[in-house]
Amino acid sequence: MNAAHHILETLQRNGIDTVFGYPGGCIMPLYDALAARDMAREAAGNIQHVLCRHEQGCALAADGYARASGRIGVCIATSGPGATNLITGVANAHRDSIPLLVITGQVPTTLIGTDAFQETDVLGMALGIVKHSYLVTSAEELPQILDDALSLAQSGRPGPVWLDIPKDILLTELPAPGPTLTPPAAPKTSPDVSAALALLRQANKPLLYSGGGVSLASAEDAFRRFAAVSGLPNVVTLKGIGNPGLANPDYLGMLGMHGSRAANKAVDQCDVLLVIGARLDDRATGQLQTFAPHARLIHLDADAAELGKLKTADIALPCELNATLDSLSEALEASPLRIEPWRQQCRNGFITQGFHAAQNDEPHAPITGTAFVRELSRLTPDDAIIACDVGQHQMWIAQHYEFGHPRHHLSSGGLGTMGFGLPAAIGAQFARPGQTVINVTGDGSFMMNAQELATIRRYKLPVKLIILDNQCLGMVRQQQELFYGNRESEINLDDNPDFVALARAFDIPALSIHRVDQIQRGIGTLLAYNKAIVLHVAIAREDNVWPIVKPGASNIEMLDESYRTNNHPIKERIA
Amino acid sequence: MSPTTTQSSTCHQLACRMQAEPAALERVCQVIRIRGFRIDQMQVVNEGEVLAITLQLTGDRPVSMLCSQIEKLHSVLTLTLAGQQAPARQTA
Repeated sequence: MNAAHHILETLQRNGIDTVFGYPGGCIMPLYDALAARDMAREAAGNIQHVLCRHEQGCALAADGYARASGRIGVCIATSGPGATNLITGVANAHRDSIPLLVITGQVPTTLIGTDAFQETDVLGMALGIVKHSYLVTSAEELPQILDDALSLAQSGRPGPVWLDIPKDILLTELPAPGPTLTPPAAPKTSPDVSAALALLRQANKPLLYSGGGVSLASAEDAFRRFAAVSGLPNVVTLKGIGNPGLANPDYLGMLGMHGSRAANKAVDQCDVLLVIGARLDDRATGQLQTFAPHARLIHLDADAAELGKLKTADIALPCELNATLDSLSEALEASPLRIEPWRQQCRNGFITQGFHAAQNDEPHAPITGTAFVRELSRLTPDDAIIACDVGQHQMWIAQHYEFGHPRHHLSSGGLGTMGFGLPAAIGAQFARPGQTVINVTGDGSFMMNAQELATIRRYKLPVKLIILDNQCLGMVRQQQELFYGNRESEINLDDNPDFVALARAFDIPALSIHRVDQIQRGIGTLLAYNKAIVLHVAIAREDNVWPIVKPGASNIEMLDESYRTNNHPIKERIA
Repeated sequence: MSPTTTQSSTCHQLACRMQAEPAALERVCQVIRIRGFRIDQMQVVNEGEVLAITLQLTGDRPVSMLCSQIEKLHSVLTLTLAGQQAPARQTA
């Protein structure tokens, strides 16, 4: 077999059954090997190749597959433009620590460095957006590189690993891969947590702050046990949404720029902040100098480089979260914390200063994003997967949709990639074929990867799409309104295509709603239909996300609708 | 961040051993630039499978943060930080 066959065989032996890709010149040997395997109808468990309609779609679909499944995602493209089109998707995975194996063809070895057709320096271009990358320079080294890449992408803090393989190497004969040796699982040991426990026990107002690292470590159960045993009031980052589950009485919601007042206030008042699986990102902390000003910090993370990167921790523990959380839970089970007044204060705070949506029961009233998302949350099954795009709708989902598990909430956190949602939903549907998968998007984001409707149609995926259409780039408009003297600049999208007609052109049925009394029927139709369907929801252009913290400001300086009324009346918009 | 230096900039000397793979030097140089440091001197000796790299750097940020990012590079085998030296001359 040649190296291309060898790659596919290795993927299959490692349990990879779905890859997302797009063929082209230098990767053709791999596609030829795929075709040969299909023709030979090799053993059950053959690899399914999903042809997306743009390489960015391939990378983001692989990302969505990995997020929803907890397994590695694989994407494939050719050299040159194929590889450059992957870049945004791979960067997206890198920023959110998603395990990906990225395989690109490269021009033949002898042509590298000659400016050959479709040659780009992929290794050089991708350096800043990968956990590691390889330019394969001989067929003999390929088996070891493949093994290393698969292991590296999924170990420690996960991330994308990129293999750039010249065409001549793909065609070189190699022996079949040997039996897959399951590497011994990394020992799950806890560091000494006695100092952390001592600090927690001294605290009157301790607070738990969790992020995406909990899910990346598959530590949801250990986290929930610890949250229950400790009784700590808790806040989450965007990527930590779902960590506490639906039944945690001490949950205060997301913190940060669009966090709840209750969450940001608790951070401001706490005297010990226990950060678990989070990197203290600027969107979460706001102005760092005023973040958690009274707190001593305990920071637990798999990546030692995150400890002390932005804020010095009193206790910094690079650790495997499952074992460490179990150690903490065992100690607290034996001797619980006594923080009842603080717990009660936080619970009361969440009742009055959690996320609230204005209720308008007037049947013909226009739909607001928050009311729609609340109804969506109420009507969808508990295990539905929501893949967001980026913008106002993303924040309304983060604030008002109730997630029972972090793998049900797919959101581009670090990179903030408009166009993420649709391909991510495709990947999630392949990973979870029996679950309801909904892409909630905006009119701006949807148009960034709308071509992937063709992928949905081709594979007959029952992915649901909801387009919250305010005919503008709403988050940019909102910030221009609030922070740039209400001067609108290049945010107008009122010449959007007819989204219903567009969906139908892809043979996907669609319906449109714009009044409050249509919400239930619209969502009901969406959920009852067992195939792909698009629900277009016209919402008011002036809908804003509240609260909001001005970028760079302190999280306690949260603005709400009263700020708009007092400072920037809509009617005074500059012409 | 532009890796220009200020009066408070500090010189650091790092010794790094890396696997001699195609992009090894680019990786370490990129991390140094992105994390806000400037390379003043660099010496590289190819020892076959390993590159022995000696770096003299200037920067305002804590060098420990740079070291932890360089150590994350998969092809870095060892990294040693020599004692901190006198503040750099003002250059910007």
